[in-house]
Amino acid sequence: MTELTGTITALTAGIRLRGGRRLYRAVLYTLLGAGAAAMIFPFLWMLSTSFQSDGALLVPPPRLIPSPIETGNYAKIAEAFPLWRFLLNSVVVAVVSTVLQVATSAMAAYAFARLRFRGRDALFLLYIATLMIPLQVTIMPLFVEMRYLGFIDSYPGLVLPSIASAFGTFLLRQAFLGLPRELEEAAFMDGAGHVTVFRRIVLPLAMPALATFAIFAFMASWNSFLWPLIIVNSPDLMTLPVGLSNLQGRYATSWNLLMAGSTVAVLPILIVYAVGQKYVIRGVTLTGLKG
Amino acid sequence: MRSLSRALAAIAATAILAGACTGATTQPSATPGGASPSAASAAPASPAPSAQAEDVTLTYFTFSAAPDHLEDLDAIVQAFEQKHPNISIEVQTAAYADYFTKLQTQVAGGSAPDTFELNYENSVAYANSGALLDLTPLAAGDSDFDPSVYYPKAYEVFSADGKQFGVPEQFSDVVLFYNKDLFDAAGVAYPDASWTWTDEQAAAEQLTDKANGIWGHFQPIQFFEFYKVLAQNGGSFFNEDQTKSTFNDAKGVEAAEWLIGKLDKTMPSDAFGPDQDSALFKSGKLAMWHTGIWLFSALADAPFTWDISVEPGNVQKAHHFFANAVVASASTEHPAEAWAWLRFLTSSDEAVKVRLDASWELAAVADQSLFAPYLSQTPPENREAVFEALSDIVTPPVIEQQQQMQDIVTQALEKARLGQVSVPDALNEAATQVDALLQ
Amino acid sequence: MIVGQRGWQHRAAIVLFLGPSLVPLLLFTVGPMVASVGLSLLNWNLLRPPEFVGLANYERLVGDANFREAVIHTVGYVAGYLPLVVVGGMLIALALNQRLRGLALFRTAYFLPVVTSWVVVALMWRWLLDPGAGVVNYALGLIGIDGPGWYTDPAWAMPSVIIASAWKDLGFVMVILLAGLQAIPEEYYQAASVDGAARWARFRHITLPLLTPSLFFVLVISLINNLQVFDQVWVMTKGGPAGETSVVVEQIVTNAFSYGQMGYAAAMSWVFFVVLLGITLVQFRLQRRWVTYD
Repeated sequence: MTELTGTITALTAGIRLRGGRRLYRAVLYTLLGAGAAAMIFPFLWMLSTSFQSDGALLVPPPRLIPSPIETGNYAKIAEAFPLWRFLLNSVVVAVVSTVLQVATSAMAAYAFARLRFRGRDALFLLYIATLMIPLQVTIMPLFVEMRYLGFIDSYPGLVLPSIASAFGTFLLRQAFLGLPRELEEAAFMDGAGHVTVFRRIVLPLAMPALATFAIFAFMASWNSFLWPLIIVNSPDLMTLPVGLSNLQGRYATSWNLLMAGSTVAVLPILIVYAVGQKYVIRGVTLTGLKG
Repeated sequence: MRSLSRALAAIAATAILAGACTGATTQPSATPGGASPSAASAAPASPAPSAQAEDVTLTYFTFSAAPDHLEDLDAIVQAFEQKHPNISIEVQTAAYADYFTKLQTQVAGGSAPDTFELNYENSVAYANSGALLDLTPLAAGDSDFDPSVYYPKAYEVFSADGKQFGVPEQFSDVVLFYNKDLFDAAGVAYPDASWTWTDEQAAAEQLTDKANGIWGHFQPIQFFEFYKVLAQNGGSFFNEDQTKSTFNDAKGVEAAEWLIGKLDKTMPSDAFGPDQDSALFKSGKLAMWHTGIWLFSALADAPFTWDISVEPGNVQKAHHFFANAVVASASTEHPAEAWAWLRFLTSSDEAVKVRLDASWELAAVADQSLFAPYLSQTPPENREAVFEALSDIVTPPVIEQQQQMQDIVTQALEKARLGQVSVPDALNEAATQVDALLQ
Repeated sequence: MIVGQRGWQHRAAIVLFLGPSLVPLLLFTVGPMVASVGLSLLNWNLLRPPEFVGLANYERLVGDANFREAVIHTVGYVAGYLPLVVVGGMLIALALNQRLRGLALFRTAYFLPVVTSWVVVALMWRWLLDPGAGVVNYALGLIGIDGPGWYTDPAWAMPSVIIASAWKDLGFVMVILLAGLQAIPEEYYQAASVDGAARWARFRHITLPLLTPSLFFVLVISLINNLQVFDQVWVMTKGGPAGETSVVVEQIVTNAFSYGQMGYAAAMSWVFFVVLLGITLVQFRLQRRWVTYD
């Protein structure tokens, strides 16, 4: 380790000596640019494939610019499936479960970060432990439960299992732990209760953290596949990933159609991220992440 | 309080929106009662299947309709609903890869679809477990039903212990596709019914031109190909009473070696990616290809001439037979209606016509004259080979632990292919594991 | 110390704040989890009525070579994956914590893969790494390298999965560490530069210690998530070739839904659950040794 430290120090010093601030920047931009290209490239590939014709597909060498450009793939999907319906269902489910998850997780996080009670740590561990059994194993009992509740093939059935989030509780608890307590204590002195402190002080201060979690929650809901697959039967209630999974044939898959579908599925979430990304960076900043 | 109440208002608004959307699901294709099948199943069961006047909604779960044949299925459903105004069919689809996960959960959770599709290999576990409705009494009570409308082999594979648990819906077989242009260029005679493995190999050697990336032939190395070449080699997968594996005998080893031995010599070894074989053939770089007739439409506009032939055998001929049946759930509350639907779906003139027009695999019916329009289409020129192949079809060995058995055999072949173990050792190990499943 | 709360008020607050998440968690997550303990005592193919077999599923697990292999592969996966995303994510976070032109663009680019579903990402990677028609081998071919068989080659299959996974998750680690970096007050660095501390020394003595809480968070979450690696394996390799990428959750899912052994799958999950819980507890215990809170 010290050897490495030495080398790096020497290197940095070397760059400095040659007045290499500009060189350093050039190297940095090159590396970052190459990395960013590697991150973006598969997306371009997806986009490109979605404009390939059946025939040109798979014929080596691979072409990034499709020729001929086939715009019919999107129309074909929209024709075969109620695409707008899928989109609407996905939006409804994602929005509802995001709003509810943020609300319930924030409240639980407040309890874990600010209230003292016996068994708190054990209860917190129970929350985290819910992340440790794969859904495939609990899906059967959950399905039976939903059947008894009469929620098979319905919006409540889709949404109910994801109105609370252990991940979100963990994330927000860390955020709340990092907030200064002076304001809260002053409020308590003035006779405020927990509800007031939570709403007036903690939530506004942690707004960016809440936005961060909102994006993660939206993402998780938007991409979730197994549960919607199981619980929904009618095409009218299918979410985008479930509806689009029907594009995969038993013997062969039309990759260009599948990529067109995937592009449609990714775009809305990119928009959500673009809107929220400012908050994500600032948000996690304020979480402080103190245990 | 304001921000919280605003949040609550937002939640309420979204919930109402969601409710409104649920209410709005009564689209033309949906049926009045269709919005809440859970409520329907909660209603007391009507014990009398003769409730003809009553409106009945049947669910039908399928993997073969999406993505290409949704409209064709819709046409069949509409034709059926016209004939049976009191029955409406609610179609549910899933991709084959997800189909069984969902189906099993539904069956286990006590809300199985009334009718659904099963492929032959998976059907046995369902039948053995009592999940399927015995159709025998319904068929017997149906005065104008005659099982001989079905292609006999297809009908009989879906029965066990004298009980008919499914009616055949469609079938496919595997034949030898070949690129005529490559054969012409290499001056090699086209494959015909007289060919054996030796002929195929000899032709493949002449056709292979590695410098130009052209390969002689391709055949996947997996369970389904293995049991078939085993049959072509005169071997059998199990002993007579299916209590012990016999696929690891000398014939089995020879069959596996036939599959594996071609690798890198005349058969591309890297063609195991998604649809790689398809890509190779489509781009004119593969001379012969053992694959299913479902690819006809995908190859219709290939930029070269191609045709099919029955597969070369070794000591005998054998062709792989894929079949799907439609079945009714043992728990359906409407067995009579379910039977009417299954019958219509598989053998009515309307349904058969829709299937054949759409090249939706082959309707499993016996009347060859129905296939005339199908046979007249080209390519391939030699479409008759599809039916020629049926004269010596073999069905895969089927046990209750089907998927596990298939995985064991495929993995053994894979290990042998990769040179991790010798072919006899791989097969012996697989046989031991498969035998354990038979206990 | 929080002042101004009476006993009943305190209790009411606990119920009020915990209830909305605890009730649904108990109903829709913990309940089914507990029920799955019951499942693990059954022999059930989901089609016929279940049969009670006691602890037989757990006994069988002891001698299951496939499960043992899967555990080894899972550990191998995490061993390859974790350093890649942690070191990679850290380097990117450090780089993007400077004043740069196009910063927002870079941050978005690196976060792009995180927001995409695994189904799409895995398909794309399978596509890119395709031995024949894939772009990666095509590019390698241009510079005269004969690319490996990637996910079709037993030796390269797990590395292929690791590469795709790391690629996807770099942005997640980056965002969390970047946030940690931005939380470090400027004054610390200003004090250090007065001392003329070199870049590396500043990193070693200021940045790294103050970043440990974020690193701890990343490690806990990444371990829980990635010991349960499944989606990418399922879509890219299905556990193949020759079982070389078979992992624990893949075994669980295969047994549950393909092999008609739901009970056995549940038993696997619960054994694995104990391991995961143990690892997480140890992490919480050990955090005092290396995680610096101020």
